[in-house]
Amino acid sequence: MATDIQISIIGSAGDGTIAAGDILRNAFAGMGYKVISFDVYPPEIRGFGKCIARMRITTEQAYSLKHKSDVMVSLDDSHAIPHAGELRDCGAMIYEQGSIVRLPEGGHMSAHVGPGQLPYPLPIRELSEKSTGANRSRNIVVLGFIAGLFNLPAEGFRKAIGKKFRSKAAAAEASEAAFKAGLDYAAKTFKLDDVVFGPPVSSVVAGSTVEMINGNAAIVRGALDAGIDTFFGYPITPATSIMERLASEMPKRGGRLLQTEDEISAISAVVGAGFTGARAATSTSGPGLSLMAEMLGMGVIGEVPSVVFVSQRGGPSTGMPTKTEQSDLHMAVYGGHGDAPRIVIAPTNVDGCYRCGGKAFEMAEAYQTPVIVLIDLYLSNRYETVVFPARPPFEADMNRKPGKQAAAAPYKRYALTADHVSPRSVPGEKGGMHVVTGLEHNELGRPNDSAELHTAMSRKRHEKLKAALRHPDFTHFKRFGDEGPVDVGLVAWGSTFGECLEAMLKARGEGIRCAAMKVVMLSPFPTHGVSAFLADCKEVLVPELNYEGQFANLLQANVARQVTRLARVPGEPMKVEEILEEIRRLAGRGKSAQKAA
Amino acid sequence: MATAKNARHHVVIGSGVSGSQAADTLREREPDARVTILTLSSLLFYNRYDLPKVFRGHRDWREFLAYPAEYYKDHRIEVRRCSRVAGVDGPRRTITLEHKEEIRFDTLLVASGGRGYLPEELAEFRPLMHPFASYTEAVTAASLVPDRGHVIMLGGDMIGLDLARTLIDTRHRVTLVAGAQTFWPHEVSDEERPGLIAALEKMGVEVIESHDAGGIATIEQGAKGLSARRVLFKDGTELHGDVVMPFFGLSPSVEFMLGSGTDIERGLLVNPALRTTCEGIYAAGDVCQIWSDAEKRYRFFYGWKNVRAMGDLAARNITGGDEPWVPAQDEKLHIGSDGKIQSPFWEYH
Amino acid sequence: MGDIKPVYLEEKLKEIEESGRLDYRSKTLPTWCPGCGYFSIVEAVAASLCELNVPNENAVVVSGIGCSSRFPFFVNTYGMHTLHGRALPVATGVKTANDALTVVVVGGDGDGFAIGGGHVPHAARRNVDITYLLFDNGIYGLTKGQTSPTSAIGFRTPTSPYENPDRPLNPLLMVLSYGASWVGQAYAGRPDHLHKMITQAMAHRGFSYLHILSPCVTFDKTHRTYSNLGMQVRDLPADHEPTDRAAAMREAMDDALPALGLYFREERPTLGDALDGLVEKAGGELPGKPAAKPARKAARR
Repeated sequence: MATDIQISIIGSAGDGTIAAGDILRNAFAGMGYKVISFDVYPPEIRGFGKCIARMRITTEQAYSLKHKSDVMVSLDDSHAIPHAGELRDCGAMIYEQGSIVRLPEGGHMSAHVGPGQLPYPLPIRELSEKSTGANRSRNIVVLGFIAGLFNLPAEGFRKAIGKKFRSKAAAAEASEAAFKAGLDYAAKTFKLDDVVFGPPVSSVVAGSTVEMINGNAAIVRGALDAGIDTFFGYPITPATSIMERLASEMPKRGGRLLQTEDEISAISAVVGAGFTGARAATSTSGPGLSLMAEMLGMGVIGEVPSVVFVSQRGGPSTGMPTKTEQSDLHMAVYGGHGDAPRIVIAPTNVDGCYRCGGKAFEMAEAYQTPVIVLIDLYLSNRYETVVFPARPPFEADMNRKPGKQAAAAPYKRYALTADHVSPRSVPGEKGGMHVVTGLEHNELGRPNDSAELHTAMSRKRHEKLKAALRHPDFTHFKRFGDEGPVDVGLVAWGSTFGECLEAMLKARGEGIRCAAMKVVMLSPFPTHGVSAFLADCKEVLVPELNYEGQFANLLQANVARQVTRLARVPGEPMKVEEILEEIRRLAGRGKSAQKAA
Repeated sequence: MATAKNARHHVVIGSGVSGSQAADTLREREPDARVTILTLSSLLFYNRYDLPKVFRGHRDWREFLAYPAEYYKDHRIEVRRCSRVAGVDGPRRTITLEHKEEIRFDTLLVASGGRGYLPEELAEFRPLMHPFASYTEAVTAASLVPDRGHVIMLGGDMIGLDLARTLIDTRHRVTLVAGAQTFWPHEVSDEERPGLIAALEKMGVEVIESHDAGGIATIEQGAKGLSARRVLFKDGTELHGDVVMPFFGLSPSVEFMLGSGTDIERGLLVNPALRTTCEGIYAAGDVCQIWSDAEKRYRFFYGWKNVRAMGDLAARNITGGDEPWVPAQDEKLHIGSDGKIQSPFWEYH
Repeated sequence: MGDIKPVYLEEKLKEIEESGRLDYRSKTLPTWCPGCGYFSIVEAVAASLCELNVPNENAVVVSGIGCSSRFPFFVNTYGMHTLHGRALPVATGVKTANDALTVVVVGGDGDGFAIGGGHVPHAARRNVDITYLLFDNGIYGLTKGQTSPTSAIGFRTPTSPYENPDRPLNPLLMVLSYGASWVGQAYAGRPDHLHKMITQAMAHRGFSYLHILSPCVTFDKTHRTYSNLGMQVRDLPADHEPTDRAAAMREAMDDALPALGLYFREERPTLGDALDGLVEKAGGELPGKPAAKPARKAARR
């Protein structure tokens, strides 16, 4: 039996909500299930802000979270109550049965459990206090209850709990007691919901490893596997954990990481290190990318390999730092002054974060240009089970070296070549001395602003990127769903593609001829492949998380085609149902049409 | 839930036959009012007379629900399950739930029903018995009885005897330890009793008159590999079965009404219009004792039809009506021409 | 006036050619105005690189934007002519990527203390092993003569036609307080001293800051002229102890009569040392040293 179960744990910042979610998803991944998970954090650092740990546990890797959860846990009713409606009918609502304070009418979860949902009031606090002497282990009590209620192997949970409290013996002991208290309580509980876990299916190929990690961690792993040498960064939500993780991992491999005084400094140092021949990167979010725009242009004209990981959040300005959005596409692709073409790749899932995280270094070297890897808060913090190949799928060196220079001939750093990429030397190499400049220059790199040269060099900088559209072992775009002509075709990018894929599959289940294309390479735009797909589509739907439809703009700048935009800015992932409804409408199967039928 | 701002809040305690009928009538008669049901149950309303079906293989609670979840959404009836009432303050019109939440009401209907009564001398054996009052209890008990298994039924009562009919029908063995409550709530004379017992035996029930065996001495877990339960009588008689199920009638669930300002005897005392002695508070179903002008006493009325009619009447009187209680069914127990026992309480399908 | 020794052009050229300094000059001729103090700086840098025996390909000269920032084109090394104000972070990247390189940052007062002012403290406190030559002419020359953060108060320029209302910064004092491990001052009008100071700055292991006073002969005819500077500059007192930061700061505060010489010097771990330390702490292995020859060691011998 295929498993497809979503669990949400809702609490306030001090309840251990995210910690419980972390243990739970690790437990499921350890049992061999596939997991996709996305937590919600409060914008405040301290205090009692709302936290939601959400995970979908499946037999085969899922592409998005579901709109409705099958199991919901409230560790704090005031935060969980507004979400009560997100539990499906016949799903389990697990909450604290008592209260230590007087409650106003409606202040308890029991007032909000819908008639179709199944209530599981537990004495969570009491169980925690009785088993551990404190109420701090309420989150672990709940985990025990979940293990018992759904008849899951307790060993898997214990392993995950042990991992979490590896270095804290006292906490580990308390957790074991609390877990058992929850487990025992479940044994006395009559199970009424219809949430059933089927057996997990292991699909690990020999040599490869399965890990459940989030997008930021996958980017880090990609960068490490691609041999990143130097990293310069400045903390900013939601990209910070990329830097934090690299800060602990890079020195283990002899790498160097520096926290700079601002994002301008970070990208400047990346360009400096890139010029020097290092694999260098920085990470940031929209506000930082704004600051980096000028230096990225320098990287473009100087043809310096450099990698920028950008995780978008709600904007403009400081915007919504802890909410997700896809509204920096224009800036990533077009941002900065002058004609400054660069490579922008946007993975659509955590596995893609790993691949793009590594491939970015290859591309930066191969095409001698800044490469932006564009993700968003949703993908940064989204956990998925990823199968890592035994050997990293990245090339260690993609440089085109100048070779031995004829003594008399001056080295032409910017030689105009057939494929527009010039052989590059780095400091320390004899005979390759040159000056990289932000000024327009000739083949030698000397300042020159003649009409002919500016035209030739502009052409060089644009045309060389076209080869990136054929970069080996890289998915630039990919079509899913029905082959041949379809009624509705979805085109999407980044984190939202998961929801699009899910909606497309559901639409096909309803008999709509439907396909979806993910576009990973945003710049240069894979016009050929995308327009071939669009030619198959009667209607084209472009869902994305920004107000105007920035990707639709990009698409239409490259392919003359009417499209339907589904652009939303809720600060959270798009709902599969919303996309599905739009597909139905475009296919002439709107709600009204369905009712009539 | 959209309700008019000044709409009244009608609260019903209990989601059984009586309470659920009352909520339905309240909604129908006052479309703008807020209607809330408070119940201990973790399930929406189901008819407990349907529970014997668990021995016919029906174990999914969804098959037992009287109305689907949508009914409550469509009718804007809030059902708060797993909610235990800790106390009611009649003059302040406030209910306090056990989890310290306070609920204001304009009118309150207490339809909390009754729970299984257990004679004091058997109380110590409670952990070894399996009651049959709720869906979860029914499924739990049924899961312990194998095919052609043996049920030892203590007491009887019309709910238990109804279950016995199903058990016999599904080829289970039933031993009835008969006593004073065997035909509860029917009042059976000494003359009638032997004939009724004989009818039961004819039906296939093995009957032991508890009195004849000197009463129950002890109930124990059976020896390993043998039966799960052993019942020992004072005269040395022994019974071995898979479960022991007590059926001694119902006692009204009223303890949370102590201190509410309503008069309580065994049940809540109500006038023929089902009003308690506290303004705005009504009672219906197995929990209330209704003043009978004819008999000049407060008395209980049992049975599914009566209980439903009480819920309906209380709701009408809450919403402006002023009708007196008229029993909806007679209470005669008799043996039909086919030799089978016939009780009006069994007529619910 | 002493005896004037005749100098013959041919002899001088021969001497220069034999010195090897010309190997460090590119064929591109500087674009500066005739008489600009910067000519002597490029000459001094070439001489210092030569003296320190730095292989050309192991030297990287990084600049921002401004008259002085054209500098990399005039030397025969690797170079980066970057953005206005960003030379220091770029150079930090270069040095972090390859410790074996000799990295020199050149730039003007506007580049370093206006738009790029935010980067100086961090390069200094981290002790990035680079040499920062700050060409201070107190004016924006490339954009034709606007006020800079070191312009005198009351200075009249196209962007301050009535007068410059802002008091000038004191970069020496700032850099001393930022924690630079080598701080000195030179004057373009004293090329021999300048050359010595540059050599010392480059030989220093850590962040060395050399403030070079230089006139803009084209746009400043009143304040920082050769004749004014010639009268103002003095030598640091003979008994100045360059390991005493407080004394250095006291000297730096007297900016009316700028003192030339070495203000402060200390030996402390560089950014590269610190990063290597992190690798050791993390149990990692230091990567094999890059191909470039370690120039500094040769220089210190």
